[in-house]
Amino acid sequence: MELYVVLKLIWWALLGVLLIGLAVMVGMDMGVGAALRYLGRNDGERRAAINMIAPHWDGNQVWFILGGGAVFAAWPTIYATAFSGLYVVMLLLLWAMIVRPLGFEYRSKMPSMGWRNLWDWSLFVSGAVPMIVFGAAMGNMLEGVPFHFSWDMVSYYTGSFITLFNPFAILCGLMSLALALYQGATMIMGRGEGVIRERAIRLATVSGPAALVLFTIGGLWVMFMHGYVITSGADPAGPALPLNKTVTREAGAWLANYGAVPVLWIIPGLVYAAIAAGVVAARRGAAIVAWWAGAVAWAATISTVGAAMFPFLMPSSSNPSQSLTVWDASSSAGTLGWMLVFTLIFVPIILVYTSWAFYVMRGKVTPASIENDDHAY
Amino acid sequence: MHSLDTVVDLSRWQFAATVLYHFIFVPLTLGLSMLLATIETVYVITGRAIYRQMTLFWSKLFAINFALGVATGLTMEFQFGTNWSTYSHYVGDIFGAPLAIEGLMAFFLESTMVGLMLFGWGKLSRGKHLLVTYMVALGSNLSALWILIANGYMQSPVGSTFNPATMRMELTSFSNLVFNPDAQAKFVHTSIAGYLTAAMFVLGISAFYMLRKRHIELAKRSFRVAALFGIFASIAVICLGDALGFINGADQPTKLAAMEGLWKTAPAPAGFNLIAWPNQAEQKNEFELQIPYLLTPLVTHSFTESIPGVDALEKQAAQRIRNGIPALVALKTLREHPNDAAALAQFNAHKADLGYARLVQRYAPDVSNATGAQIQKAAADSIPPVAPVFWSFRIMVAAAFLMLGFLILAVNYSLRGTIVDKRWFLKVAPWMIPVPFIANEAGWLVAELGRQPWTVYEQLPTWISASTHSVGYMIFSLTGFVLLYSIFIVIEMYLMVKYIRLGPDDDGHGATESATQPRVSQWSEA
Amino acid sequence: MKSVLQFIFWLLVAFVALFLAIVLGERGAWYLAWVLGTVMIILIAVAGTVMLDARYEDDPLE
Repeated sequence: MELYVVLKLIWWALLGVLLIGLAVMVGMDMGVGAALRYLGRNDGERRAAINMIAPHWDGNQVWFILGGGAVFAAWPTIYATAFSGLYVVMLLLLWAMIVRPLGFEYRSKMPSMGWRNLWDWSLFVSGAVPMIVFGAAMGNMLEGVPFHFSWDMVSYYTGSFITLFNPFAILCGLMSLALALYQGATMIMGRGEGVIRERAIRLATVSGPAALVLFTIGGLWVMFMHGYVITSGADPAGPALPLNKTVTREAGAWLANYGAVPVLWIIPGLVYAAIAAGVVAARRGAAIVAWWAGAVAWAATISTVGAAMFPFLMPSSSNPSQSLTVWDASSSAGTLGWMLVFTLIFVPIILVYTSWAFYVMRGKVTPASIENDDHAY
Repeated sequence: MHSLDTVVDLSRWQFAATVLYHFIFVPLTLGLSMLLATIETVYVITGRAIYRQMTLFWSKLFAINFALGVATGLTMEFQFGTNWSTYSHYVGDIFGAPLAIEGLMAFFLESTMVGLMLFGWGKLSRGKHLLVTYMVALGSNLSALWILIANGYMQSPVGSTFNPATMRMELTSFSNLVFNPDAQAKFVHTSIAGYLTAAMFVLGISAFYMLRKRHIELAKRSFRVAALFGIFASIAVICLGDALGFINGADQPTKLAAMEGLWKTAPAPAGFNLIAWPNQAEQKNEFELQIPYLLTPLVTHSFTESIPGVDALEKQAAQRIRNGIPALVALKTLREHPNDAAALAQFNAHKADLGYARLVQRYAPDVSNATGAQIQKAAADSIPPVAPVFWSFRIMVAAAFLMLGFLILAVNYSLRGTIVDKRWFLKVAPWMIPVPFIANEAGWLVAELGRQPWTVYEQLPTWISASTHSVGYMIFSLTGFVLLYSIFIVIEMYLMVKYIRLGPDDDGHGATESATQPRVSQWSEA
Repeated sequence: MKSVLQFIFWLLVAFVALFLAIVLGERGAWYLAWVLGTVMIILIAVAGTVMLDARYEDDPLE
């Protein structure tokens, strides 16, 4: 295989890793934010819940920023086309996410309950909206988005933003929210005590199965949905220009990869297994096992979508032949190579100091411990 | 065509508004993180509780500022894609890499460590906590490094070439990109400007306390450390400003001409316009106060090199547009017949001026029929808006020298130990806090307005770079940003002023506040 | 008057420093300069602040 093809495949896999990292780490904090008013019924309990993620939310959020940067570097055509095509949705996502740092940082800076309630609700919005948008964006990728290019690669989006919130996309958004709630709940289980912990266990045992139900409905939907198939002109080693191939739409085409390589069915199976194991662990109070089960469920969910769509990344519903695929939406070989070098050097370093940060800040957080901590939010 | 121009203008307004806003908070983060590390170093060396208290107090203000810097930075990471999609596709192969590396190398470090810095006081030894603070400072400055490498590419696109097979610019040399002289000088200039901003911020607030005779011990020490930190920063920032002007003079003559209000090429050594009133339409200064012979040595570091004025640069641009047109024509042929050897040869012969051909594409969509008048109009476009660049530059420089003078006095009074008695100086100092912020914003305007009409200098014009949104979308998003950001700045300023007035927790000195507020320490800690 | 003269003197010193740096740094190795400069700024600021405390310790009135 040519080096360029290998690099494209590696970066396809790394795109998956990024999305998984983003979903698990950012999703966890978003889940805590979205469930804040359920987990904590009074100010002390809410402060306890916030301070369980307080030292880490900022570091976790970098997964999101890195996601933007890495897609820009490795998949510039996706970065350009997807983010401008999904303009209004992206703005909702950004605005919701902008409020979040302020919610964490400013909430407990004033004693007024009105002030704090306002920030609690802003944390709810900035937790729920981005996760729904994240799932809905994935759903839209499966369905295809109406865009095309001119001869000199200026992209035009021809749909309205309402179409981005179609029933299937909303279903995916809700599934994403359910998994985020599960992930947040398992985090709170690990660092909370007493009533907060019990609420977190209840939340995990409800949101986990809810995610499974939504995943099942979504799966059945995809079986009958119009997928995309490259009929000619695909050149894995060719230059990254999405104008030289032909693509058709076919009902059920998203199952073609699973038909060709049946072993792939293990991936969706893993979603069921992980969530089932996670819910059992949550009931027994094994927070760490439940957390990791949630992470595996996220990884398997995103891999399920990736395996179904490969080699497509962003199909065009209005001009299928200009769909963006792994073969024609990437950076040049040089950039992919340099980025791989930096990734291989820095990702292990990041994992080391992130683990260290979690290790340093380990231990239970309770309303009483917050009262006595001068540095808490 | 008309609505396209409106969309591009609105996209530019949105970008400028969001980035100028973001850039209120960033320099303070860059500098204050380093200054915090400095103060904490003193704490670790001396072991005196007062330095711990200082570190805690300034890190509280740091956190308020940092939150908004992070929040508004999110917008920037995605705005190239949402609003500048043609740009993102055209140079994403080069421009995206530093942005991604910024996340990997710098932002992860900064954000993970900032959590430990703020929350890890009881859980880390002194030495480890100091290390964490240094990592925050290093991480934030490395962030600036990679962002400015990306920006350096827009100013001076090195290490890349246009690939007709992918219809975009592609990376040819990673080291040229990283060691781009423009990026090097601009990084140091910006980072040190951040140091200066933080020093002025700490000086102003410390002076306020001394004036009110509150927290005197903390204020005196903070004043000392900030004055010493700031004096070197102010000297370095001026040096680097000059280096940047020198590099820009060579790489971006149009920016230099706009900065200096230089309409006509004057014989060397040319005079320096201290003050002038540039008139773009008539290409002259309505009024100018000139210092003879100064400009040439200032920007070329020689007495004989001539500096091209707007008149010469426009002629050059017209020439390059004519030379670039065959490249654009050949490119279109190549799209239809990828193996056309004649078209490829024509393209390669003219590709250096491909960007210039796109300037005239704005007036003549089919460039092969471009008239002389259209080319002239496009050539006039190649000159940035002179008056705003000229004045932003002067405001920035004046601010820098004002701060240098102020800091010499500050160091002098602090070292003599007479600062507490210099009431006039203490009264002035808080009013100096906005000066570095104004200088920072003015500096951004010089760099980015001076780059016009290009997003990537001489490669990609601004008018073609934006996403193809409707005007309605742009009004929606611009309104949303303005509303949200206005609310945020009010909240941020309110909290900042509140916490400055509240002062550090030193039980007793802040008696006036704690009398009116029940149990301050219960909720005042961040 | 004395302090005005002193101010002017230090201003001149600053300008000489500026001039030297400009001549030396035309297309200089700025990344290295940043590392060295930052370390220098921190060290001097730390030393100057530690000095402040040392002076108080010598002074019995404090």
